[in-house]
Amino acid sequence: MGELQFLTWVRGTGLNLAISIFLLGVLVRIIEIYSLGRKKDLAEPRSVAGASGMNTVFRRSIPADGMLKTSPITYIGGYVFHIGLGVVVFLFAPHIKFFQDLLGFSWPGLPSQAVDFAAVLTIVALLLILIDRISKPVKRYLSTFQDWFTWTLTFLPVLTGWMAVQHLLLPYTTMLALHILTVELLLVFLPFTKLFHAFTVFGSRWYNGTVNGHKGVAV
Amino acid sequence: MSASLEKGVRVLKEVIDAPIASYFSSCVHCGLCAEACLFYTETGDPKYTPIHKLEPMRRLYEQEYTVLGRLKKLIGLSKAVTDAELAEWQELVYNSCTLCGRCSVVCPVGNDIVYMVRKFREGMSASGNAPDGIKGAANRTITIGSPMGVKLPAVKAQMRHVEEDYGLPIPMDVEGAEYLVMLSSMEIMNFPEYLGAIAKIMHQAGKTWTLCSTAFEATNAGMQIGNSDLARVIVSRIVDAAEKLKVKTVISPECGHAYTALRWEGANLMGRSFGFKVRHIIEVLGEFQEQGLLKTEGFETDRLTFHDPCQLARRGGVIKQQRNLMNMVSKNFVEMPDAGFMNWCCGGGGGASAIEEGEELRLEAFKKKKSQLDTVKPDRLVTACANCRIVMEEGLEHYQMNLPVVGLTEMIADHIPNPVVAKPEGN
Amino acid sequence: MATTNDKEFRTKLATLSVSQQRQVAALFVQRVFALSNDARIKAALDMAKRADISDAELAVVSQAANTARVESYAQCGRDSDWTTQAGLFVAKAAVSCVGPEVEGENLAWDAAMQVRVARTCMAASGDVTDHKEAEAQYAILDNFLNT
Repeated sequence: MGELQFLTWVRGTGLNLAISIFLLGVLVRIIEIYSLGRKKDLAEPRSVAGASGMNTVFRRSIPADGMLKTSPITYIGGYVFHIGLGVVVFLFAPHIKFFQDLLGFSWPGLPSQAVDFAAVLTIVALLLILIDRISKPVKRYLSTFQDWFTWTLTFLPVLTGWMAVQHLLLPYTTMLALHILTVELLLVFLPFTKLFHAFTVFGSRWYNGTVNGHKGVAV
Repeated sequence: MSASLEKGVRVLKEVIDAPIASYFSSCVHCGLCAEACLFYTETGDPKYTPIHKLEPMRRLYEQEYTVLGRLKKLIGLSKAVTDAELAEWQELVYNSCTLCGRCSVVCPVGNDIVYMVRKFREGMSASGNAPDGIKGAANRTITIGSPMGVKLPAVKAQMRHVEEDYGLPIPMDVEGAEYLVMLSSMEIMNFPEYLGAIAKIMHQAGKTWTLCSTAFEATNAGMQIGNSDLARVIVSRIVDAAEKLKVKTVISPECGHAYTALRWEGANLMGRSFGFKVRHIIEVLGEFQEQGLLKTEGFETDRLTFHDPCQLARRGGVIKQQRNLMNMVSKNFVEMPDAGFMNWCCGGGGGASAIEEGEELRLEAFKKKKSQLDTVKPDRLVTACANCRIVMEEGLEHYQMNLPVVGLTEMIADHIPNPVVAKPEGN
Repeated sequence: MATTNDKEFRTKLATLSVSQQRQVAALFVQRVFALSNDARIKAALDMAKRADISDAELAVVSQAANTARVESYAQCGRDSDWTTQAGLFVAKAAVSCVGPEVEGENLAWDAAMQVRVARTCMAASGDVTDHKEAEAQYAILDNFLNT
């Protein structure tokens, strides 16, 4: 398959397939998780300002007292790559163009040097947390094939995208096609791996905050 | 699959709800929960990572409740939960977890891990994999009425002793009293001064109260073992008593898990809300203090610090009251690092101290409490849970630390002048 | 004048020196020692009975008695045995006998109270319905003061 055919395929059939599987997967997973429901809490509640599900959805983004110094790389590396990913995915002009074609509206982006900087930070942060996962006993102990696999799924799009923009290694067309392919792989596997936390983190934090909020404890 | 494993698996399937499904789906193996758990931090053994304690339940969730997991099971690609595995997990789910809840408050994706452990224990106990120590406690609670086999004559003997000492009658089975006071076996057996303290405080506050001959025990071994049916039996005894005596408030003793069982799980176990309030004794003392009903004299002058029992503070929401009470009778109250909401567990709650095989692990985990105390260097340690007291005394003994431990309710009562009530001369 | 109630008992105890308090407290505890039979408690009582103990000797037996006390706590959830539980209060009483003097508190009184609780434990196990330990203690004190 020539490089142009490859690119056409990933932009067309491949993309349609990936987005369909992604949307279907997300729907199925959301339903199979949240339709299980939960029993109503009949204990007499204690109402304390700031102790609620919604509060925890936001507050849990801040490390609990004393935790940051126990695992700085987990927190800092985690924040850098999540924010970096956000910047790269949503504030890069070519991506915004893609979203506009898909959704019908757009938004302002950042200058490409800023996005480039964010991409590099993201790559470095991802590498750092990979090293951390390998070297820290707890992370190593917990890690399964899925952890290494999802890391790769997350890392490759950023790497290939950056390499494409920098015109590194392979001809641009091929690099771009590879980049889109890795994005499609990420989309396809996201609902069925731990990457689904992108959606369930809100529900999880909310449940946790609600149960504790019922007791008047702000978590 | 053996009959008991089948029962255990069935129970596990029943307890999995949307929160648990959401939690398992959100875990990213970041390992932060381990850094919050004293059993990991003091041993360095990653098997004590909180989320790892749930691995069999996670697999079961996947195999039973996810499309992909069910498909994998169909084509023989999944690993079933076995008897041997559950037996192996007993140490993780019971010996190395006190249901302290620190993991639940640090997880970045919001997982309520202690909630999951509590549910996992339901399956463990249904499959016969609960530790003997707690099984015994649970059985005794059902058959005798108390996990430690404390019977009514024992309670009556303590009542008589208190009546003689203080000249205050201890009411029993009084209908229409405002407060129904519950006790824990630990207090009846190890700290009988607690009953006297209650009597003095209630007398000064001018409140009516009573014990109940059919329900004096609040310790809930059913909750610790993870058997909701057992937990319900214990709670319903108390509910029946409270409703029969038409009290306004039931007071939970200085036993953290008793409070959690009655206050937060009770109504859910019974399937209906209560017509009475449930308060921890420290909450009640806090209310009395606010209302000006506690009139204490004098101050402790030595350097005191307070250990927040997990079920009272972080899991129960009672954090400020103990501090206000300490300041009422102490001139030199200092907080240990991480005090209050983020306090470290004594290492013996949730049934852990009833497990003989777990003693070595508990003593190792105690190094965390020791480090808090080494930093604050108090003359005495105050707390509000009979089990914490003993677990900590044992830990202090083991590490040869000369530090007395006292109960907060008794300390408050010590500063209330003895009632001037006519006592019969001699005996 | 013979002691007939706790008020008189407590007042008379307060007139004793620390050394005398330890000696009379040891006599109180001796009555219930059989409920414990722990060698460390015996050592503490023997030491307390002597009028000429040094602080260093006291510290040694105090440590041992405290260990005995902590070891005799009933563990949460374990099957209880009131007869054994009495041992806890014997140990607590012994700790009072050889422990440091605390301002505002009378160690002989504390020991006497713990001894009574030990007796109450026997009542709890159904062995004794009503004990007359207080009277026995009054008699011991009066006897001690008269010699």
